Parts: sequence; structure tokens; C-alpha cells
Amino acid sequence: MAFEGAQMFPSTSVSLGNEARATPLDDLENVVALYQPRVFSFLLATLRDRDAAETLTQETFLRAWSARASFREDCSVATWLIRIALNLARDHTRTGRFRFWKRVTASAVDVAEVAAFVPTHERSAEAQLIAKQQVAGIWETVAGLSARQRSIFLLRFMEEMEIPEIATVTGLPLGTVKSHLYRALAIIRAQHVSSPNNIKTHGATTKETE
Amino acid sequence: MTPQLTTEQQAAQAGTTDCALLGETHLTGEQFGALMGGTTGTAGPEVAAAEAHLLVCEQCAVELASLREAISLFREASNAYADEELRSRPRWILPARRSYSQSLIPAYWVAATAMFLTALLPLQVMRRHTLAPPAASVSSVAVSNTASDTQSDEALLEDVNSEISASVPTSMQALADPTADASTANNETSVPTTDQRKD
Repeated sequence: MAFEGAQMFPSTSVSLGNEARATPLDDLENVVALYQPRVFSFLLATLRDRDAAETLTQETFLRAWSARASFREDCSVATWLIRIALNLARDHTRTGRFRFWKRVTASAVDVAEVAAFVPTHERSAEAQLIAKQQVAGIWETVAGLSARQRSIFLLRFMEEMEIPEIATVTGLPLGTVKSHLYRALAIIRAQHVSSPNNIKTHGATTKETE
Repeated sequence: MTPQLTTEQQAAQAGTTDCALLGETHLTGEQFGALMGGTTGTAGPEVAAAEAHLLVCEQCAVELASLREAISLFREASNAYADEELRSRPRWILPARRSYSQSLIPAYWVAATAMFLTALLPLQVMRRHTLAPPAASVSSVAVSNTASDTQSDEALLEDVNSEISASVPTSMQALADPTADASTANNETSVPTTDQRKD
């Protein structure tokens, strides 16, 4: 790792014994290759710190592998991993150290950097600029949401999870998940409407892309 | 008798899409959230009513489409940024997917031997120092020298004592008994006697 040296994972080939059943997590290399981008992306949007996101991504896979015997396959591997990542992020953000370093860390995500990755889709320069502003606006608004609202919003719109799946990951009732999601959307909608050009230029942008 | 039209049908006939003319309010936050965040599987009558509203209210339809597009861009940009960030970082070192097969055994033996030798070398060096330290050898030599010196000193003292204890010292033996052996004494002494001088 760039900041703490290479992380060594336990061997995937350690014998589990005859009585241990095989799980999809036994093949750690394959699991990491499949789900690392997804877990990292979720943690990066949640924590807004690149180093912390990578550290917790590693921790997610390490814990998942260590506890693979308890994986009953009543949900997908991705759901299980995101659940671990969410718990780790929750624990991480509760510490006072995180709150302090969040303000000063050099690895904090810059909104402009994220907005620079807006896909062009052959937009005009003006439409591209507006799209970047929209993304930056949502990114900043999401940062201002409560931790629970933010998690549920990201699970729904970044991870594209269904409401029942979000309820499984967060351990919340369906109604509570919907309630938090609607509140988060109301805040984001208010920010979106209040931003100049967002609504009135949408028609023009759509026409250009058509 | 003309049939009663709903407000939405009336608005459609009038070719207008203004909710105000329909006497309706725009989508509530809950309806908006249900349309945005809800899924088809959980869609209830409330979502159906909201979708019907979108057909006649261009403002709500445009707002909903705009927000959907913005969130879609947010997702794409965030994922692209995360992918790029992940690519720029070193890959994790994962163990090779193979069992502890025989191919690893020589490596383990080499490592074990190297560790053994590494641990043994300092012990050997320490042992060498312990067996023949410079200070110890000097002291042993000094002890042996002291013993021989003591012996020679004792012999010397014994000689001195015997000479002291003797009634006449060896060097004065000739004077003690002048008649004992005159010839010998004369031969031994270099001083001429009076008779010899006369001769």
C-alpha cells in the first residue's frame, strides 16, 4: 500500500478441515478481483477520504475472509461485503480522530476531482459544465446528510440496491429505510432545484444528446 | 348529458400541462421520493397516482428527469473516480492459489537453514570470546609466572638463611681456620706471605 506498505492476506489455501464447508469466500483472490472496486467506491463516497477508504476496503475483505465460516449464503457476497464495509465505516466515523483528520487530511477527496470524471456523452462545453456543477452539488449535499441518510442514499443510488436489500444491509425496517431515503431525496431535490440552470437547461441538454 | 371528466382529462383536452389549472399541487416529497427511490416491486397506488400526475405536469416531469439524470451522473462520476483512484494504487499482495505443495518444501528448508545459521553464528562468536578472552589469558600467564617466581624466591631466601645461620660465612672460612690447609690457602690467596717476600 502506498501509505502503510503491502498488506498481506492469509493464504487462501489453508485447510479448513474436513468438517468445514466450502464458501464462495474461500477463493479470496477472485472475491477481491470481483468486488474490490465496488466496496472501495462505496467507502470512498461514504468517507470522502482515499486512504481511509482503502484501509477499510482491505479490512472489509480481511474480516469477510476471517468470518467466512459464518457466511450462510442467505444473501449475495456483495451484500455481505457491503454490510461489513458499512459497519466498519460507521465505527470509523464515530471516532473523534476521524472528525479531526477529516478536516486536515491530504487524502480527502476534492469535489472538483470527482466532477472531472463526469462522462461527456458528446455534450456541448456548456452542458458539460452544467453537468459538472450538478455532480459537485450532489456530492456536497450528500456530505451534509446524516450518516444514516447518506448510507441509504448511496446504497440505493450508487450500489443500486433494492429497498429490501438495503434493509438487510442496514438492519433497519423497510419503512425506516424508505423514510430516510425520502428525506435524503427531499434535501437533494431542494439543492438541485435551487441551483441555477439545473432545471431550465435540462430540456436543452436532453435535446442536444438526442 | 355530457359525461363528467376528471380534472386531468379536462387538462389534456385543453392541451395544458399546468398543475395550477388542474387545481392540483405538484408532487409531494413523499411522492417524489417514491418515484425516485421506489422500485417497481414496491410500487403502490401512491406511485401510480404520482406517475399519472407526471403525464399532465411538465414541470414535475422535467424536475424528476433532471434529478434522475444528475444522480446518474453522480454515480458514474463517483465510480469512475474510484476506479481511477484504485488503479493508481499498488495492487494488494495476495497469496498464490496453491496448497502447501512439494514445490514450496525446498524453499521452506532453505529459509529454515538460513534462519538456523543466522541464529547460530552469533552464538559461535560469543562462545569463542567466552573460551579465550584476552584478559583471562593474561591473568593465567601472570599466575603461572607468579608461581615460578615464588619458587625461585623461596630458594634464594633459603640460601640466604643458610648462609646467615652458618657460624662462619663461606667467604670468611679461610680466616676461621688458617692451619687447615695452608698450601691450599696460599695457592688460593694472591697476597704473598712475609716468607715469600723474603724469598
